[in-house]
Amino acid sequence: MGEVIVITSGKGGVGKTTTTANLGTGLAQLGHKVVMVDTDIGLRNLDVVLGLENRIVYDITDVTGGHCRLRQALIKDKRFEGLFLLPAAQTKDKTAVSTDQMKALCDELSQEFDYVVIDCPAGIEQGFKNAIAGAQKAIVVTTPEVSAVRDADRIIGLLEAAELREPRLIINRVRQKMVAAGDMMGIDDIIDILAVDLLGVVPEDEMVIITTNRGETVVQDQRSRSGMAYRNIVRRITGEQVPLISLEDEGLMSKIRRMFGMK
Amino acid sequence: MQLADDIEGDENTVLIRRTLRSGQKFHYNGNVVVLGDVNPGAEVVATGNVIVMGQMRGMVHAGADGDESALVMAFRLLPTQLRIANHITRPPDGEVQVDPVPEIARIKNGVVTIETYLFKA
Repeated sequence: MGEVIVITSGKGGVGKTTTTANLGTGLAQLGHKVVMVDTDIGLRNLDVVLGLENRIVYDITDVTGGHCRLRQALIKDKRFEGLFLLPAAQTKDKTAVSTDQMKALCDELSQEFDYVVIDCPAGIEQGFKNAIAGAQKAIVVTTPEVSAVRDADRIIGLLEAAELREPRLIINRVRQKMVAAGDMMGIDDIIDILAVDLLGVVPEDEMVIITTNRGETVVQDQRSRSGMAYRNIVRRITGEQVPLISLEDEGLMSKIRRMFGMK
Repeated sequence: MQLADDIEGDENTVLIRRTLRSGQKFHYNGNVVVLGDVNPGAEVVATGNVIVMGQMRGMVHAGADGDESALVMAFRLLPTQLRIANHITRPPDGEVQVDPVPEIARIKNGVVTIETYLFKA
């Protein structure tokens, strides 16, 4: 039986889809069999981020509606053997799938895959309820902004009410210079309010935008710090103990060493 | 909001054995004790007193049906808004340095007054 993990945040634009794409790819990189499920029906974009948009024939609503078999709707990734995507529908809305259907779908997927990673839509309505219905674990993504942290807190409360205890936190798009200058919330400030386990911290990085726009994922990029941050998060998900990488500005020597892949 | 599982106490006082998060509202006819934090966006409304054994960062209303003798106490009293009976107060605008000490809010001479909570051994 595989693990069903939902990636959620409440607020939009904090990086749920990017996180899903990177964690899914990262887990596949380690040789696990992974399926990513896009539950953002009507506003799908996990397929775009992964560069798989043009391969979609059937989607999640076709599977739950019985119009096709699950296997027919799964799209195989371009790069990794064990990585699959179950895309959302673009022409329907969140009510096209029910929580019971999602539970059944997650059960079926977890029979075959080691990890089922669910990309949750923004908000706390039907789409959110569907996304968490079949999940066993939750990862909450936030950015160091008061609005995102407030929404994350709300989401953690709702997850606890839905018996998804002990969600873990990813803090995305941290700019260490701004934190040091006191212009951005620090990791400690966020943990102080949310009081949940920290799974990882991802620094703000242009490479995320560059890779995403190319339909690639930064977790494959050996040279960027965000890529390393995602790889570490992936290892933590698999149960490894990995220390947090320092976000301090690194010196020239360590930069050079990293460029030559010595670190 | 289903809190019943986390609560124990008699008809006058309840104990909330966890943190209240944004969007969670708790209303009670009597006193409320929170063993945890009250986060921004959460609300505690009680007809009696409110005691928070943690950080009080949300909205709190003690003496909600008009009891002016009600008080609010917290290990860290940093509410978004604090109400006692029909008095509504909020922290002053701008950054305020708050000493990390327990504080107590109550009505004195018709105004809500916040003082350091001093315990006598």
